[in-house]
Amino acid sequence: MSYSVIGSSVNRVGGRDRVTGRQVYSADVSVAGTLHAKLVRVPCARARIVSIDKTGALGVPGVRMVFSGEDLEPPYFRYGPVFADKPIIAIGETKYDGDPVAVVVAETVDAAEAGARAVEVQYEELPAVVTIDQALDPGMPLVQDPDTRGDSPFRDTNTLKEWRFGWGDVETASADLVIENEYSFPMISQFAMEPFAFTAAPDHDVMTIYTSIQIPTKMQKTIADLLGKPLSKVRVVAPDPGGAFGGKQHPKFEPVLAYIAEKLQRPVRLELTLAESFYAVRRTSARVRVRSGFTRDGKVAFHDVNADWLIGAYADITPRIVEKGSYAGGGPYVIPAVRILSRALLSHTTPPSAFRGFGVPQMNLAIESQLDIAAKKLNIDPMEMRLRNIPRKGQNFLPDDPACDGHWDQVIARAAENIGWNTPKESNRGRGMALGIKMSATTAASYSVVRLHADGSATLLCGTSDMGQGARTVYAQIVSEELGVPIERIHVVMGDTSTVPFDLQTTASRSTVYMGRAVYAASQDVKRQLQEASSQGSDSNEEILKSLFGKVSGEIIGVGTARAEKRDGHPLGGHTAFYELVCTAVEIEVDRETGGVTIHKLVTAGDVGKALNPQHVHMQDDGAAVMGIGHALMEHLIYDERGRLRNAGALDYRIPTTKDTPGKMVSVFVENEDGPGPYGAKGCAESGLLAIGTAIANAVADATGVRIRELPLTPETIWSALQEAGDRS
Amino acid sequence: MQSFKYARPESLPELLELLEKFRDRARLISGGTDLLVKLQHGNLAVEVVIDIKRVAELSDRVVTTNGWVSIGPRAVIGRVVRHPGIESAYPALVEAGRIVGSVQIRNRATVAGNICTASPAADTVPPLCAYDARIRLVSTEGSREVPLRSFFVGPGKTVIAPNEVLAEIRVPAPHGAMGSSFDRITRRRGVDLATINIAGVLHDNGTAVFAFGAVAPTVVVAEETSGDLCDPTVSADRVDEVLKTLLATARPISDVRSSKEYREAMLLVAARRVQRTALERLTQARGGRE
Amino acid sequence: MNEMTTVPIAVTINQTRYDVEVKAHHTLLEVLREQLHLTGTKRSCGEGECGACTVLVNGEAVNSCLVLAAEMDGAEILTIEGLERNGELSPLQQAFLDRGAVQCGFCTPGMVMAAEYLLRTTPHPTEAEIREGLSGNLCRCTGYEGIVEAVKHAGRETDS
Repeated sequence: MSYSVIGSSVNRVGGRDRVTGRQVYSADVSVAGTLHAKLVRVPCARARIVSIDKTGALGVPGVRMVFSGEDLEPPYFRYGPVFADKPIIAIGETKYDGDPVAVVVAETVDAAEAGARAVEVQYEELPAVVTIDQALDPGMPLVQDPDTRGDSPFRDTNTLKEWRFGWGDVETASADLVIENEYSFPMISQFAMEPFAFTAAPDHDVMTIYTSIQIPTKMQKTIADLLGKPLSKVRVVAPDPGGAFGGKQHPKFEPVLAYIAEKLQRPVRLELTLAESFYAVRRTSARVRVRSGFTRDGKVAFHDVNADWLIGAYADITPRIVEKGSYAGGGPYVIPAVRILSRALLSHTTPPSAFRGFGVPQMNLAIESQLDIAAKKLNIDPMEMRLRNIPRKGQNFLPDDPACDGHWDQVIARAAENIGWNTPKESNRGRGMALGIKMSATTAASYSVVRLHADGSATLLCGTSDMGQGARTVYAQIVSEELGVPIERIHVVMGDTSTVPFDLQTTASRSTVYMGRAVYAASQDVKRQLQEASSQGSDSNEEILKSLFGKVSGEIIGVGTARAEKRDGHPLGGHTAFYELVCTAVEIEVDRETGGVTIHKLVTAGDVGKALNPQHVHMQDDGAAVMGIGHALMEHLIYDERGRLRNAGALDYRIPTTKDTPGKMVSVFVENEDGPGPYGAKGCAESGLLAIGTAIANAVADATGVRIRELPLTPETIWSALQEAGDRS
Repeated sequence: MQSFKYARPESLPELLELLEKFRDRARLISGGTDLLVKLQHGNLAVEVVIDIKRVAELSDRVVTTNGWVSIGPRAVIGRVVRHPGIESAYPALVEAGRIVGSVQIRNRATVAGNICTASPAADTVPPLCAYDARIRLVSTEGSREVPLRSFFVGPGKTVIAPNEVLAEIRVPAPHGAMGSSFDRITRRRGVDLATINIAGVLHDNGTAVFAFGAVAPTVVVAEETSGDLCDPTVSADRVDEVLKTLLATARPISDVRSSKEYREAMLLVAARRVQRTALERLTQARGGRE
Repeated sequence: MNEMTTVPIAVTINQTRYDVEVKAHHTLLEVLREQLHLTGTKRSCGEGECGACTVLVNGEAVNSCLVLAAEMDGAEILTIEGLERNGELSPLQQAFLDRGAVQCGFCTPGMVMAAEYLLRTTPHPTEAEIREGLSGNLCRCTGYEGIVEAVKHAGRETDS
């Protein structure tokens, strides 16, 4: 198909405001008469709050309120996307380092800070659960009170929930080679450049929340439940987030601010520092034990997986992360037998939430490393090994789910050709490859409105959050393509629940597919109305609009919907809209003296269906690649034995800089226009991150002969492994 | 940030008077890139911050005089490393100065500040110690000079008295041929704090001076006079042996940046690299003279 | 001058003179954003590690979170708001837009200012010089590819 603007790299809609400093982020919102809040914390993982003396703080000029758990009465309001388990502030006990015990509210930031310093908290430090082994130790304290866990069979343990997936019989599956290993994936910070900033502003009976969030509608529901208001009286204004990566899906401190603002009937604002954001959200860490069987000719015979995922004191969205990450944990392969047991374990650490790739990279490290280990033992090329196991288009590989929906062999071929897989390499270098697959959205509810104005310009309303992925641009391209309105005459309105129609969420690389479809449908609705009004069917838009609105003005309103309903009985509650499939390949070199890794080349190949804006796809891939290099080589939260976070902030939590990127970075994609999105598009926001840590670990093994089963592969980790291997030989 | 007062003296007597008045309740600011981080973190509470940027007697320049190079207390790192007199004679200081923080930090931070913060990991300190820099301190009581090697008392602690101010950093000009180099180990390639850092100076007379950072509460300086490190014909094994004796004085610890064991191993790796480059430079300098 | 808790300063920001009283302990970043409502300059790490708050002070790129506003008396400051000329993007801003250097945009103002400084001091930078010049500015979205491309391109533009 040929299109006018679809498939072309039009400049980012909103880009001009971003290069001039005009873009308004959450922290730039200023509401008249706002009070400022500061959180009071205690420096340990878990503490019994003995007493909070507020006298000193209340004596600071300008301090209006010191709010703490004592100010609440049972039954306590609790919230959370899966379990309603999180109170708006610590009640009686803090459950992780950084868990606030009080909020000081004052006329100025200075007064709030002075007030926070003046609050005297008496507390007793209690033993804390910080590691997976501690969470599994029956002698350790329970993170959640059993009385708050209803009829959960695990209520008297630190297991939040358990999942069992699989098919075939791993016990009887025959294999020529069986290997068993344990892998560990660290806690990682989303590290969005924009730290959290919230304002709760009451105005008569409407509560407005200004916050940088991926799911404004869920925030609206949480605040409505908290304050006992109808949805119509809670307005969530969500300026485009300054990076989110999953970390801004669910409420953080908006509920406590809304509660205080409602009490005081004054706007209240809280801005966190980047370091404080480290206490608000992280990625789920995991330890994965896997026993895998292979046949002599390189076919996977079975995987038997036991995965323990360390979550925080509150569930947030982690049950879904573990569930989805585990479900397709065997990877994009046709495997006769798979058994997966996953457990989400509660702990006294920063509460994890979603992060680009959800639960996939954690499992990927284990499964894709196993494949490489087997390939080496069986003397089969690792790429060939993968080609022998992937399904062909239309072939089933997950029993209850849609068949393989793309030409995945082409993806591997593109990656191989661009890394030069079959070319000779320098002796000190290593190459590595890994595939990644992610299930996308299983349910959907996206609504969109297109307003074609009398002058032929258009306004698009939709509830996606554009956090850098470029949703505004792609939607404007769709409207432009369908209605012939130039991009610069289209205004895209997002991020205000009082204005834009409902959208379920901006997650799971879904927006191009689902909201894209809703925008497409709304455009078609406008088109249909134009056609109905057209006298001969050949009139231009301008002529039709003139005939319609020449005497009495008006506009054409198109409405579009894209829904996917729940499937009862399906383990994930529904079929994925598409598979996000990636092949990452790298060529690296290891400095054997220091353990430092140099990445000479990195290739990301994805199956995107149709790249609606190729430049945006490349940007997603490049960005995910460098973020993935951070995961692979340097990033991890460090807790001490008492559960105190030792490297919150940019100083000792290192992310890649301009000097830590690969010598050459290539992003290529396969386009067969076979996706469920408009023009055959699939989502592609997360794929670049899925397999990169594993690809690099595989390359390190290729270069050094030493297999490392944990991330990050810091120079020190690699050096230690090389030392150990040297000692052994 | 917790509140404090601000003062901006315009002369040295005025500055010294303020210091006499506030003593350790005052902190001096020039670049402020370390001070403001401490104040933002709430690790430090002060009554007054004294801005020294208008004190005419405190120079922001590098001046080459007979037998010395003088670095003014307000000279920012970014300019110091571009000074021809520094570039030509003190490559280890240039290599260290070029990787202190980011461009933005180096545009603001002074060499004097990097010294006075007394961080065990400060990058300009090992080269300056290896070059045997002296620090001139002034107070209302007069002036004194301290070798940089005995300037540090502990992390964040120096011999500067509460009423004193650093007035000059003096680096001796090389006597005869000299080769020097700096290297460090970091967690990533871009802007980082040193896991360990090392400067080495090799003199024509066979004396080798090495200084290591981030491996003890203060910088460690070790000197060796066998001549083996300055001799291109000496075997790699012998060089290793000598370097290991030099490094024996280091007392690294484990922290959030590295384990003790890794630091120990990297000291030797970096020391080898520094010795190799310094020796190349020494040989070049010797050749130039012949 | 005696020690003061509030300091009167005269600064020129984007060619406009401001006479303001600032708190002794307030940073340039705080005064720009909260007192003067120039919110284009972003606050992220607040400890000089991310570069989001980069502005030019007397022609030098600095982290405005690590500068006291009181120190700025008499200074000339350029922020992201001062780069446009008569509503036209500067060539560097245009290159950021065209070359895919912008995603969420939160690091962009600081990144553009650091690049502006680089191009003023090194008009035709090599890729290595660009990567060094921008290594104090973190970006979590782009992988830096588009940013480096944009600066390269803007550097070439100044040739003609």
